[in-house]
Amino acid sequence: MANPRAATAETFSERLRRTGREMVKKRWLFLLLVPGILFFVIFKYIPIFGLKIAFQDYNQYDPAKSTWVGFKQFAELFSKNSFLPVLRNTVVISLLKLILGFPIPVILALMMNEMRSMKFKKVSQTLLYLPHFISWVILSGIIMTLLDPDNGMITNFLQMITGERIMVLTDSRYFVPMLIITDIYKGLGWGTIIYFAAISGIDPVLYEAASIDGAGKWKQVLNITLPSIIPTIIIQFILSCGNILNAGFDQIFMLYTSHVYDVADIIDTYVYRMGIINNDYSFSTAAGMFKSVVAFVMILIVNTIAKKTNNEGLF
Amino acid sequence: MATKKVAGTTIKRSQAEQVYTVFNYAFFTVLSIIMLYPFWHVVMMSFSSVEATAKGGVFLWPQGFNLDTYTKVFKDPSIWTGYLTTIMVTIIGTFLGTLFTATTAYPLSKKDLPFGKVINILILFTMLFSGGMIPGYLLIKNMHLIDNRWSLILPGLISAYNVIIMRSFFSTIPESLEESARLDGANDVTIFAKIILPLSKASIATIALFTAVGYWNDYFSSVLYINTKSRWALQAVLRYMLTNTNQAMQAAGVTVAASTNVTAATIKAASVVVATVPILCVYPFVQKYFVKGVMIGGVKG
Repeated sequence: MANPRAATAETFSERLRRTGREMVKKRWLFLLLVPGILFFVIFKYIPIFGLKIAFQDYNQYDPAKSTWVGFKQFAELFSKNSFLPVLRNTVVISLLKLILGFPIPVILALMMNEMRSMKFKKVSQTLLYLPHFISWVILSGIIMTLLDPDNGMITNFLQMITGERIMVLTDSRYFVPMLIITDIYKGLGWGTIIYFAAISGIDPVLYEAASIDGAGKWKQVLNITLPSIIPTIIIQFILSCGNILNAGFDQIFMLYTSHVYDVADIIDTYVYRMGIINNDYSFSTAAGMFKSVVAFVMILIVNTIAKKTNNEGLF
Repeated sequence: MATKKVAGTTIKRSQAEQVYTVFNYAFFTVLSIIMLYPFWHVVMMSFSSVEATAKGGVFLWPQGFNLDTYTKVFKDPSIWTGYLTTIMVTIIGTFLGTLFTATTAYPLSKKDLPFGKVINILILFTMLFSGGMIPGYLLIKNMHLIDNRWSLILPGLISAYNVIIMRSFFSTIPESLEESARLDGANDVTIFAKIILPLSKASIATIALFTAVGYWNDYFSSVLYINTKSRWALQAVLRYMLTNTNQAMQAAGVTVAASTNVTAATIKAASVVVATVPILCVYPFVQKYFVKGVMIGGVKG
């Protein structure tokens, strides 16, 4: 009885001592790690533990006096008439963005790959992904200008076609399509670059072999290019699924007004108004936590499926 | 025989291919114009007269060229303080952020680092799960950083994604390069500074660039953490000018009405341009690093 215990104790303390020795030997590496670890603890993990206030009635004047209330905030969240539409808006907007926006960069990258002129390719790439680096604040300024109800270029243009003066930014019917189109505008070039990078990593020998076998361009695209970028497509897809409750806070926050709350109010904007504006910290943290948890679960599920079926995953 | 056949098929295909090639070039030309035109439009509009902008339409060139809007926009002191804050935050944040990304990634690229795996997983986890807006806000509040410009720098200092990219780059550097220095008695910090950093200039530049873009474009930290308008970053100032144009200009002592030769529309256009021009100026020179970033990012973490 005493023997095995002594044996494990010994190996454990041995291991402890060995790790200790290793750590002393690598002390300079640990020194380098200090700022990074401090950062992740303070700015990432403390807020994660800060989620505890979702299970409390947070007392903002004296946080120590906050009382534990269990799942009360979550129950309130789902019984409130205001949250379910917000959840629906979030899912609708981000699903539309995903379904309509996801294939475009893949197609553009495949098309771009067929161009021979390096110079042309470079210039059009550069122009295509420019909006990716421009903030939504600036882009929304441009959008407001183009969609100005009095003299916006697109407002005038739409009037020419429909004969109607359409106020896209304040009309619930047009606001969401506008969000999707402008989101595609901002992201298509960057997505293209990602796939294009994957395509340029394909071994040219494959194409040579295929053309000797008599495979035409179209067949080469279907049988070589597309299969080669599937891993990239899957990784991008996993990341998008993790973002399913991220309908695009910055974009909506900049452009929405109370006229379009019914279609455009999403979880993040809701959390902002409930938390920062109304100071209802516990309730808004519960809403935010719901979003984080769903995103986390989604990414784990999709990653597992991708790993099982294709042996490709994020981690 | 075989070569003849191949030659035959290529000639046969070439006609369809030629049509496609023409289509392809035309398509990307049109798409590029569509991507660029919105920027062009606001720039031209910002230099145009109130009468021309009131009519709307396409602006290929300024109509009724004048600089009135700009003289009015620059009267608003918050544009200047915004620029100052943004430049300060971007420089300090990029320097510290890139440095600490590298110092975090380097030890973690060593496979035999004790607890290395655990730390890697804990860092990866922050990419997948976060406390979100309110706990982040309360943290800054509890640290008494509200209204302090460090609140614009510190929360975004290191991103897990950049650490992972940097780590996979460091792990491609052969161990043998460090060996001789180690035999000379150099410690890991010296090796990192004297050998690893100089070898990683390109990927460090890429990370620095992405970090800089992040800081430059950040408006929400100012919205959340800064109450005093003169401490806002440029993007937050711009946001205020876009969403409350008339109040913003009134605060700067400028009346916005067609009769004063500025309207809300031209003010919006001009302030967008004021905030965009620096980016458009450096963009052509740095964009190749962005693409490089994608290539490095393609390495799975």
